[in-house]
Amino acid sequence: MYDLIVIGAGLAGLMAAHTAAQAGLKVKIIAKGLGALHWGAGTVDVLGYYPDEQTPIERPLEAVLRLAEAEPGHPYALVGADRLAEALQAFRALTVELGLPYVGAGDGGNLWLPSPAGTPRPACLAPQAQWAGRLEGPGQGAPMLIVGLQGMRDLYPQMVAANLAKLGYPARAASLPLELVTPRRDSNTAQLAAALDAPAVRSRLAAALKPLVHAGERVGLPAIVGMKDHPAALAQLQAEIGAPVFEVPTLPPSVPGMRMYAALRHRLQRLGVRLEINLEIIAFHAEGGRVVSIETETSARPLRHEARGYLLATGGVLGGGIASDYLGNARETAFGLPLALPAEGEPWFRPRFFDPAGHPFFRAGVAVDRLFRPVDVAGAPVYENVWAAGGLLAHADPIRERSLEGIAIATGMAAARQAVGALRVAAQ
Amino acid sequence: MHTVSWHSVGEMLDACIKCNICSSYCPVAAATDKFPGPKYVGPQAQRFRERGQAHSPDHSVDYCSACRVCNEACPSGIKIAEINARAKAQIVEDRGIPLRNWLLGRNELLGKAGSLAPHLANLAMHNPVSRLAAEKVMGIAREAPIPRWSTHGTFGAWMKRTHAERLRAERKVVYFHGCSTMYYEPEVGQAAVAVFEHNGYEVIVPPQNCCGLPMLNNGEFPAAEKLYRSNVAKLLPYAEQGYAIVGTSISCVLTLREEAAELLDIEDEASRKLRLAMWDMCEWLRDLHQRGELRTDFRPLEMVLPYHVSCQSRAHRMGRPALDVMALVPGLDARESDARCCGLAGTYGFKAEKYEIAMQVGREAFQFIEDQGPDVRYVAADSEICRWQLEHGTGKKARHPVEVLAAAYGLYDLEARRLEA
Repeated sequence: MYDLIVIGAGLAGLMAAHTAAQAGLKVKIIAKGLGALHWGAGTVDVLGYYPDEQTPIERPLEAVLRLAEAEPGHPYALVGADRLAEALQAFRALTVELGLPYVGAGDGGNLWLPSPAGTPRPACLAPQAQWAGRLEGPGQGAPMLIVGLQGMRDLYPQMVAANLAKLGYPARAASLPLELVTPRRDSNTAQLAAALDAPAVRSRLAAALKPLVHAGERVGLPAIVGMKDHPAALAQLQAEIGAPVFEVPTLPPSVPGMRMYAALRHRLQRLGVRLEINLEIIAFHAEGGRVVSIETETSARPLRHEARGYLLATGGVLGGGIASDYLGNARETAFGLPLALPAEGEPWFRPRFFDPAGHPFFRAGVAVDRLFRPVDVAGAPVYENVWAAGGLLAHADPIRERSLEGIAIATGMAAARQAVGALRVAAQ
Repeated sequence: MHTVSWHSVGEMLDACIKCNICSSYCPVAAATDKFPGPKYVGPQAQRFRERGQAHSPDHSVDYCSACRVCNEACPSGIKIAEINARAKAQIVEDRGIPLRNWLLGRNELLGKAGSLAPHLANLAMHNPVSRLAAEKVMGIAREAPIPRWSTHGTFGAWMKRTHAERLRAERKVVYFHGCSTMYYEPEVGQAAVAVFEHNGYEVIVPPQNCCGLPMLNNGEFPAAEKLYRSNVAKLLPYAEQGYAIVGTSISCVLTLREEAAELLDIEDEASRKLRLAMWDMCEWLRDLHQRGELRTDFRPLEMVLPYHVSCQSRAHRMGRPALDVMALVPGLDARESDARCCGLAGTYGFKAEKYEIAMQVGREAFQFIEDQGPDVRYVAADSEICRWQLEHGTGKKARHPVEVLAAAYGLYDLEARRLEA
């Protein structure tokens, strides 16, 4: 019998499982799919924009305080600035242990990093490999040489460089033959990254690249610099090219996300956490205000899972934690929990697709109390032993706010701590 | 005659968002340029496959190993491997089946024939000259881990021989052994019978035939349908009487309870009943334990045991029952491998043009086993295919988890692969 079943294998679920397992709980993760780490840029975005504002935020940890006042239901308001800072610290420490260190500005301010479109995007923490790509303001910082591979579909160096240059960041582009990395005619980012796990391939790429680099330039490569052997791959390329090298995220799936997913998964396995993918919840049983068991779909009869507690990290509208249809129905997919939706009569979507204020429906989600237990309309917890975290939580629009990973890490850890505390008390 | 239908595929195509996660995780696409990846030969090429169209637009679908890693990775829930299986069947329907694939689909026939004189059959099949000939003439890879016929008699013969010793009890279970246990690894069946009986169950072994998976894999849907319907007819009476029908071959169980009906578009009451009556061995034991009825008088087995998760085990979506029950054995450190596939994938790696691909795919699994240390003597896997490939790739002895459990009950010699006297 498990102490805690975490539902969802994105960053929130993985961090929640890690927190609970480290505290000594017996934990299992079940998930329908592989999780949102495969979609992101690999950065930890904490807060890039206030809702309804277009001026980017410079200091997310301070901005969170203002956000909490304006939006008392926002996940960051529940976590609080101190616990958020603590969670980010803990995450950084964990990434160092995992051998995939994340870095951030000394003052906790946002970094500006080139997106795959060549525009600056705010992030609080970034994989070491993205550090040398910091955009410190138009006209500042070393000029960039963005290098791509001919025939690679997931990053276009000319577009990246042209857009950066237009915004005042000196940048130019170059393309190298794909054959330097792979003999194959066609490869995806994961395959190219795996090819660059071989030191000889890295040397070949470095030798071809070095003559293209002007003095004082830094070199941006697609985020394919090694899969399993990434830190060594980055170090070798920098040493052999003789210039700072940084990764530019590509179109999904994200190699930096896949690296982190694999590293976290191994760590969790070592902590004795079972991770079972492709399980979809189809039923659950509750008694006396507690969820007793859940059932997942199989090739035959439903499979019953029992635990003393359940932590939902199933994601929001995009992640699959909330299902909706064109008739205007929305439901929470695991336990049918009450959803905080746009008010009756208010539209789900604004007329413009790219409306800078975002769409009201993307702020929908599960409302929770201070202990991260989902609550009903009256504010009372629905189940004593169910906790929720991550993109599922209401009153945030993580993609618009650029707060996806910050919310995932902070609420994943905070909700898991609540679960650990409650389950310990219950055991005594 | 059965014609390939695209029932249940159509709507799925629109759900593909072209994210490429399937291609990023596909172990075959990572190993060879001949397979561009599940997204291309599956949801994309499918747009151009019409009923009655003379040529499939993409013959590289033949290089899909049917491991289903894509199904698991897909965020939109598309059954890509099933799209590919239907596409292969359409190619076979259009142009017929090569003799080699016809033969590989008939493992039951091969099993029966070889078992008439297993020593002779092994000698005839497993010598360098005939293997070379089989490669040159038939396209069956000469190094491939083709199994040896059991020289201690078939599982059926053993059941007959030991008829008088078998437990008679109120509680009964039906055992589906599959062709591999019948002709190549009767030890697995003996271990299963010992574990059933140790838990107080009388074992019924009804007439049964090949589940049809090798034919489904090779695109021979009409022949597979005959086998499937024949099994349904033979097993249905037991399902209707409420018996659990338990199999040790995880792929046969998957075929009988889901895959055959899905690919052949069979949605009748008999199929539904069979589906609900069938269990994987470890899944059934886990259920027994959840009900508090599994005997747990296990002796300690002090060892590290790498456990390879077979593709079919993942496809069952039933968690890790083998790990759950092996966790009850004191001292046993069963370690889950996250290798995507052993590579052999049914009859895939037996084919000369695919053998190297299969071995390259298998490297992940071989490496995981190596990494568990030099003292590792055994590896465990629920599928016979994986066991053969893992032995071939690592030199370790591969066992079914039920053999491990039988050994922990003190009923079975894991090394010699025979029941304790």
